[in-house]
Amino acid sequence: MYEFMLKISRFMAVLGGLMLVALIFLTCASIIGRSLNGMFHSDFFQANLAGLSQWGLDIGIGPINGDYELIEAGVAFAIFAFMPLCQITGGHATVDVFTSGFSLRANRILRVITDAVFAAVFVLIAVQLYGGMLSKLRTGQTTFLIEFPVWWAYAPSLVGAVIAAAIAVYLAGMRLMESLTGRDLLPADLGADH
Amino acid sequence: MSDILIGILSFPAVLLLIFLRVPIGLAMFLAGLVGLVLVTGDSSVPFGRLKSETFTTFSSYSLSIIPMFLLMGHFATLGGMSQALFKAGESWLGHRKGGVAMAAIGSCAGFGAVCGSSLATAATMGRVALPEMRRYGYAGGFSTATLAAGGTLGILIPPSVVLVIYAILTEQNIAKLFLAAFIPGILAALGYIVVISIYVRLYPESAGTRPRVAYPERFRALLAVWPVLLVFGMVVGGIYLGWFTPTEGAAVGAFGTGLIAWFNGGLNRASMAESFYVTARSTAMIFFIVLGAAFYNGFLALTQVPQEIANWVVAQGYSPVVVLVLILIFYLLLGCLMDSLSMILLTIPIFWPVMQQLDFGFVSMAELHAVRAAEALREGIVLAPDILQNIQDTLAAGAELTRDQVRSLEIRGVSKGALDRLNTEQVAIWFGILVLIVVEVGLITPPVGMNLFIINAMDRETPMVETYKAVMFFVVSDIIRVVFLVAFPFITLMLIPW
Repeated sequence: MYEFMLKISRFMAVLGGLMLVALIFLTCASIIGRSLNGMFHSDFFQANLAGLSQWGLDIGIGPINGDYELIEAGVAFAIFAFMPLCQITGGHATVDVFTSGFSLRANRILRVITDAVFAAVFVLIAVQLYGGMLSKLRTGQTTFLIEFPVWWAYAPSLVGAVIAAAIAVYLAGMRLMESLTGRDLLPADLGADH
Repeated sequence: MSDILIGILSFPAVLLLIFLRVPIGLAMFLAGLVGLVLVTGDSSVPFGRLKSETFTTFSSYSLSIIPMFLLMGHFATLGGMSQALFKAGESWLGHRKGGVAMAAIGSCAGFGAVCGSSLATAATMGRVALPEMRRYGYAGGFSTATLAAGGTLGILIPPSVVLVIYAILTEQNIAKLFLAAFIPGILAALGYIVVISIYVRLYPESAGTRPRVAYPERFRALLAVWPVLLVFGMVVGGIYLGWFTPTEGAAVGAFGTGLIAWFNGGLNRASMAESFYVTARSTAMIFFIVLGAAFYNGFLALTQVPQEIANWVVAQGYSPVVVLVLILIFYLLLGCLMDSLSMILLTIPIFWPVMQQLDFGFVSMAELHAVRAAEALREGIVLAPDILQNIQDTLAAGAELTRDQVRSLEIRGVSKGALDRLNTEQVAIWFGILVLIVVEVGLITPPVGMNLFIINAMDRETPMVETYKAVMFFVVSDIIRVVFLVAFPFITLMLIPW
């Protein structure tokens, strides 16, 4: 079960990473287009290379329309897709100077409570995100420049949020089992590495 | 219970949760949620906010710079930049007393120029430099402490993830903050090198020797560093010159380092997946804290606590510098327990309004007039000789220009409001750099300096205590630097154009 959850998390992380790479390409393409467009409009090019400039402008070389909006939509998906891996590998930032002095049992109980609350919060986030998506769907709100429906951006993000919630619930369940049986069922956290 | 009381009590509540090992982002999120319910007396408000707030927090153009910078740092490692930097440093400095350690600091500074995170810099350079230092007979604790301290340069030298967050919280210009971090970052590296040369004289047995390297080889090693310079120049230069936005700069940097890694054969399916995993974990961790902080700060703002605290501090009439020093000491202490990003997100919304209200008097109206007048004259404004003479006399006397003089020079942006904005910006930049340094000191102060753990875990023979002992020398250097920067704001602000 753990292996399966880890696999899904890694798969989501790769999807998010690919989205990030796509956004990086998109941004670079937009910068190049913008620079070329500026160059074609420059006095030097207009005077000496008018044909080339006109051709370049005619085929539509310029900044990518709505790159800003695409980045905002894409990065939201990437971050939601990154959540499950952070969750399952225990990557969230914590302070454990004080609890390291507590007994193993006390730590287990604290961990059960924390992870249960964490799971509840992730479920809440996913449910409310779904609600948010429905209301965007109902109102038909679109983005400003390229006018794509805002709910399109919510939908892929929801996938990440739902998987993160499922993993958080699974982890909370396992922590409860651990504290009841007194055995370690989950591998140790990798710790935060920011 | 009044709203303000709820707001104030929420702070110890958050700290208690954090110290009970509740993830920091979750602790802030819960406090924000419960606080909002208490203040509004209704659970539908915070729940309703969640419908869009999670999405809008993550769907941020300015924050998208963070995963891009993180990915860029990993690509830089895959492209062999860390090795190239260390090799160059080693071939130039290695034969000196403590030279391999100095080379490690230098290469950390270089890597910091393409990496926005301290822990990543410490981890990357540790893998490269630690085995070498040990091979040439450097003592364990000294080696680990050097690399832990060097890692903090990752965030001092731009680009810097923590500065991005600070810039967003205080609504300041990221490019200017990056620029301001540059000189303090170089000073930090120089300070650490001085520490090393003192240390090896106090404890001569802690450093080994390394043979001198011939000059042709030194230059070859130096040449191999060009990708780092290129990427740094493109990213920071491009952002600063306004060629592109900071987010675009991060994309260009990630693209450039990715391309270099690909050419050097460091980028394949497995290493690509690995960098996605690491980026995913760090990004998710950071954004969960950002989400928690957004929720918590939304609640705090509703209770008006930050404004009340700021008003109270101003009403007490403390000297601004005293307030600043107290805040910095608070960060130093908290930094022994908590990571830098969480501290900034938790405290800047409270401390920044205070700083904003204090008058440090950086720029006077006369100085602003002088600078704007000089600009106008340089742009070739033509004035009658007597008026020009008059203006020059006024400025030479260090006085403000008269209304007529301002009008005849046709200068703009010299209103009271413009002066206030300028001063606020200067304080924001200066304060940001100071906070950045003190929270980074937290990464190398016992007991929970994250850099110390990361580096110490790489060297199983060295007990943690040895690292703790040696790192105190570097901490002292950090504190001396902070004192300098507090005493002379000019050092931080001199590169910033008005």
